[in-house]
Amino acid sequence: MDCVDGVFTIFAASSMHAGVRARATAWMFVAVATLWATSTCTVVASPARNVLVLFSNSRLVPGNVEVDRGLRDAFRDAQPLPIHLFSEFLDSPEFGGEAHEQAVIAYLRAKYAGRAPDIMVAFSDASFEFLARHRGAPFPGVPLVYASVSPTVLQRYALPKDVVGVSVEYDFGGTIEQALRWHPNAQRLVIVTGTSSRDRGWEARLRREVPSLAGTRRVEFWAGLPTAALVQQLADLDAHTVVFTPGYYADGSGAMSSPGETIKHIARASAAPVYGPLDTFIGTGVVGGRMPSFEGIGRQAGRIVKQILAGEQTAAPATVAVAPIALHVDWRQVQRFGIKEADIPADAVIHYRAPTFWEQYRLVAIIATSLILLQAGLIAALLLERRRRQTAEVAAQKHRIELAHASRLAVAGELTASIAHEINQPLGAMQASADAADLLLQSDVECRSDLRRIVTRIRRDSVRASDVISRLRSLLARHAPERHPFDLGVAIDEVATMMSAEARRRSVALDVRIDSPLPPVAGDRTQIQQVLINLVLNAMDAVADLETDRRVVEIAVERLDGRIHVAVRDRGKGIAPQDVTKVFDSFYSTKSSGMGLGLSIARTIVEAHEGRIFAESAVDAGATFWFDLPVSPDAAVAQLSTS
Amino acid sequence: MTRERSLPPGEAATPSARALIHVVDDDESLRSSLLDLLRAAGYDAQGYGSTGEFLLKPIPDRPGCLLLDIRLPGGPSGLELQAALTDRGFALPTIFVTGYADVPASVRAMKAGAVDFLEKPVVREHLFEAVERALERDATTRAARADAQRHDARLASLTAREREVFDRIVAGRRNKDIAAELGISLRTVKAYRSQLMDKLGVGSAAELGRLAGAYRAAQD
Repeated sequence: MDCVDGVFTIFAASSMHAGVRARATAWMFVAVATLWATSTCTVVASPARNVLVLFSNSRLVPGNVEVDRGLRDAFRDAQPLPIHLFSEFLDSPEFGGEAHEQAVIAYLRAKYAGRAPDIMVAFSDASFEFLARHRGAPFPGVPLVYASVSPTVLQRYALPKDVVGVSVEYDFGGTIEQALRWHPNAQRLVIVTGTSSRDRGWEARLRREVPSLAGTRRVEFWAGLPTAALVQQLADLDAHTVVFTPGYYADGSGAMSSPGETIKHIARASAAPVYGPLDTFIGTGVVGGRMPSFEGIGRQAGRIVKQILAGEQTAAPATVAVAPIALHVDWRQVQRFGIKEADIPADAVIHYRAPTFWEQYRLVAIIATSLILLQAGLIAALLLERRRRQTAEVAAQKHRIELAHASRLAVAGELTASIAHEINQPLGAMQASADAADLLLQSDVECRSDLRRIVTRIRRDSVRASDVISRLRSLLARHAPERHPFDLGVAIDEVATMMSAEARRRSVALDVRIDSPLPPVAGDRTQIQQVLINLVLNAMDAVADLETDRRVVEIAVERLDGRIHVAVRDRGKGIAPQDVTKVFDSFYSTKSSGMGLGLSIARTIVEAHEGRIFAESAVDAGATFWFDLPVSPDAAVAQLSTS
Repeated sequence: MTRERSLPPGEAATPSARALIHVVDDDESLRSSLLDLLRAAGYDAQGYGSTGEFLLKPIPDRPGCLLLDIRLPGGPSGLELQAALTDRGFALPTIFVTGYADVPASVRAMKAGAVDFLEKPVVREHLFEAVERALERDATTRAARADAQRHDARLASLTAREREVFDRIVAGRRNKDIAAELGISLRTVKAYRSQLMDKLGVGSAAELGRLAGAYRAAQD
């Protein structure tokens, strides 16, 4: 690093205000020259940039650790060369004085002879003052960036305008104001400070600022108490007191510490809420305070360092940053002292608040809730659907009954002529019989036996006529579908009888063959009869145009494999192949009259009886419609037990 | 029912022989009722369950008529039976009975020479009127047939020469022409003529002319 030799950047260690401006101009020249030298040489020679941070206090002071983290964060991925970060500690206020400072200078010079820093960072007041007092020693000419230095300290030294950094002003006033706002009933404000020069400086500042903030409240300065005594006193405080402390470096017994350490004792012991202005206090038991973030300061300073190393002309004073201050609170203490959540400003940083269930499991909760809602919705929809289907089924069932009934009425309409004939026939016989009886009675001939015979016949004919009517009535009656075992053979024989008049009217021969005995089937007798009537009427229609001797409709009932088959066969034209599958569709008809519902209803009825219905047809060989029904299970059991 | 009728319906029109009414109806009950009714009214009545049964049974040569259901299952229908009977020259006057108000069938029946067309249930008075009309017609046809048979018998009694003369009289020839045609004298023709008039039971030339006219009509 010989290229920087002979170039001195020395801070004028003067607190004099007169003539500062003239000297500052000279300083500026030097500083710019330094920057130029730095940027021209190091780019070529150094494989890395060295940054030396000089901390005021000892190594493990919490603030230092935070700043270090912020710096390292800023230096990550530095371009074009990596940055090596070195840290040194003045161990103030435990160590101090001229002799110590000279030793430190010698030490640093010796230590960094081979790795001279390209830039130095002074962290906090003591470190900055050390470097300022020794005018750039131990590394004259090396640019300086300060961090976390209070403006009052900065003002004490006349700096060139491009000496930049991050100043910080601990917000004592703001913190106290916030504390009093949260504890409006507090009667007492206790200020705790220490005995080191720094502590005394803070004490002085507080004595200046506090009276105007405290209003009517009693203000007590507990300055320079030994920690043990302090702890005792704090424990005796009541809830109507607010404690404020910036922490301290030395207590009344002369024991050295750091604010981050001392606050632990204070916060732990105090029965009253404790406030402080340093962010390292958070977590020790203080309620909170308006605090700069040490990590943020470190990051800010790191950015400035990078800018300088990159050779950017830093336009002072824009880059002279003031560390941002934010209100920090410890949620646990907020709850302990009963501070209302509504009173916490929205921009406050809240620590240690366990995330609510919602915050923690938001996604899971949303998904779970959605799933539950979805499932509930699905269940509701399914229930609704089921209900709707049930309603629809009831309605459909009702429709089927209506339709089947309407169809029976239509069938009865078709049979009107033959039914009339069937009733007329016995009526005619009865009339003729009555006339004959009348004539016989008018004669004087003995005719008792003839009359007896005639009366018997009249009675038989009246039964015959009323049978026709009751068959018709059962066909026409509207009734809910029944399910009883019945003899299919007998039911079909009845239909054949009912249809015989129609068959005669149309000059069709009805050929009925029924296996007997047949096991019973279960179902609605009338509906099954209706199916058969439909099939027989269709068959009769099919043979209507044939020669009289070919007008034959066969009904065959037989048992096959636990089912009873009923076939209705005609010798008509048959069904066109493309129509065979369609004849059971609703409103499908090959006839000029008719709704095309008969076979559709027949299918509905047969399928409701767990049966099947089919049509078969061969060209010019007529059609066969057949349906089958399962033998009633009761009947099967009954048959087994009897056989 | 083999008793003397006691009521008038059939009496006036019934000639010497008792009329026999044939009832063809497949409905046993109705058939029996009609038979009872007819017998109670003094007619002889015979029932048949089908046209086939009627055709198989020998029909006695008695005055009578046929009461026929127009629509009969199996075998020929009433109309077909009527047609068959007419073809065979077996002219039994027919009354049709039907359970259906079937206009086309009734028209056909009447055209085919039915006496009447009755709808079931049959009203007693209508039935008797129809039966009487049928029997009248039967009597008329029977009388005509008897006349024709009588004439045939008389014609059969003519000699060959007499027959030749008769045929020419039927053909409208004059005596003079017949004599010339047959190569016999006018007087001989006149002698044949008076002989055949005796044989045929014709009293006058005018009567002979009428008979010849009727015969000519029958030949056409």
